Amino acid sequence: MTEHEEVKVEDMELVFGKTMIVFTIVGIVMMVIPAIFYLAGVRQYLPLSEVSKYWAGSASEFWQNTKGIHLHGYGWIFNNLFYTDILSMLGVLLLMITPLISMLASMFKASSKTYGILFLLAALEFIISILFKTS
Amino acid sequence: MGWSIILFLFTFAIGIISPVSGVGGGVLFVPLATLIFPFHVDFIRGAGLVMAVTSALSSIPYLIKKGLASIKIFAVIAPVMVITSVVGGFIGLKVTSAFPGGKYYIELMLGAIILLVFAVMMLSKKLEFPDVKEEDMDSWAKSLNLRGAWYEPNLGRVVHYNTKNTKISEVIFAVIGFIAGMFGLGAGWANVPVLNMLMGTPIKVATATSMAIITANAPAIGIYLTKGAILPSIVIPSVLGITIGARIGAKVAEIIKPVFVRYLVLAVLLLAGALNVVKGLRGLGII
Repeated sequence: MTEHEEVKVEDMELVFGKTMIVFTIVGIVMMVIPAIFYLAGVRQYLPLSEVSKYWAGSASEFWQNTKGIHLHGYGWIFNNLFYTDILSMLGVLLLMITPLISMLASMFKASSKTYGILFLLAALEFIISILFKTS
Repeated sequence: MGWSIILFLFTFAIGIISPVSGVGGGVLFVPLATLIFPFHVDFIRGAGLVMAVTSALSSIPYLIKKGLASIKIFAVIAPVMVITSVVGGFIGLKVTSAFPGGKYYIELMLGAIILLVFAVMMLSKKLEFPDVKEEDMDSWAKSLNLRGAWYEPNLGRVVHYNTKNTKISEVIFAVIGFIAGMFGLGAGWANVPVLNMLMGTPIKVATATSMAIITANAPAIGIYLTKGAILPSIVIPSVLGITIGARIGAKVAEIIKPVFVRYLVLAVLLLAGALNVVKGLRGLGII
């Protein structure tokens, strides 16, 4: 017997995995390509010399010293997408929500109502966590 | 730019050691980077978390297809871990920004956690094929059908497994999520023993499912993002270094004896844990 004949992976698990790999690849590409331009000195929001000057301080001190701002929420990312370093943060954002997208996708293929509810619950918590930070 | 190259080489080395020793990259990266690099611990924890989640995301689809990563177990644990990892990340950043000397409290706690990881690694036994019978399964495990199977090439057959102790495991995973979010450590070091020894999943399933569970810590990345604690000049070399290194490490693991590397990693963890504790105590003026 081959493994494919005997090992049965449920549809909801396969959908979870397939969704995850697609969004992970896209997320890594979105993160790495702008970062390469950033490290090469193209359209930097935070010049590298400034970054290394202040990165010994906490995150809040760092932003106070480099930009004179106090960051809160995701607005600073979406407002500065013209810069390569900030653009690469979009990739990080996508990687962050990839498990959420995978859970939502597998919810529709859930093997039982309980699993559907568990995925929905985790997805809602995920979304609330994001809103909680921006409030 | 110079630090980015050093960081890449550093995480590349961790990437090679990690699969050989069985220790997650985040657990090695955070305490060592705190000691070696000039970056604040906020940025190191942010990078550690992105590294842990990215490497988990990359490997899970393959492990699911093989029947090794159980998304059913993940679905049961995720609703608990999503919340606690976010609370952990939030409190971790609050401590460093709201209290004078908060950084030193974090270093002190990080050192203590690393020493705990050291103890867990020293004491925990790996149960290759735990024997969980149908009557050992708890009511949750039975009703959610928390069982599975995978083809084990070493045995030349399909291995079936059951699980147990679902409720108590949920509580423990809540605590693990909090610690993982707070310190950006990833959580494989704690997930695997709980899945293997408490829930009774075979070690290969425990290791693979642990990777899926680590992704439940992904929302904690948002905490670091919204506070600006994720910097491309730190995160990108780290993610690239560990990803490339881990691919080489997986091949190295096949040809060298893991025992020596395991002891080396244990020694590094002991040293890193002790040094973080000393740094924290010194910063707080206690010693």
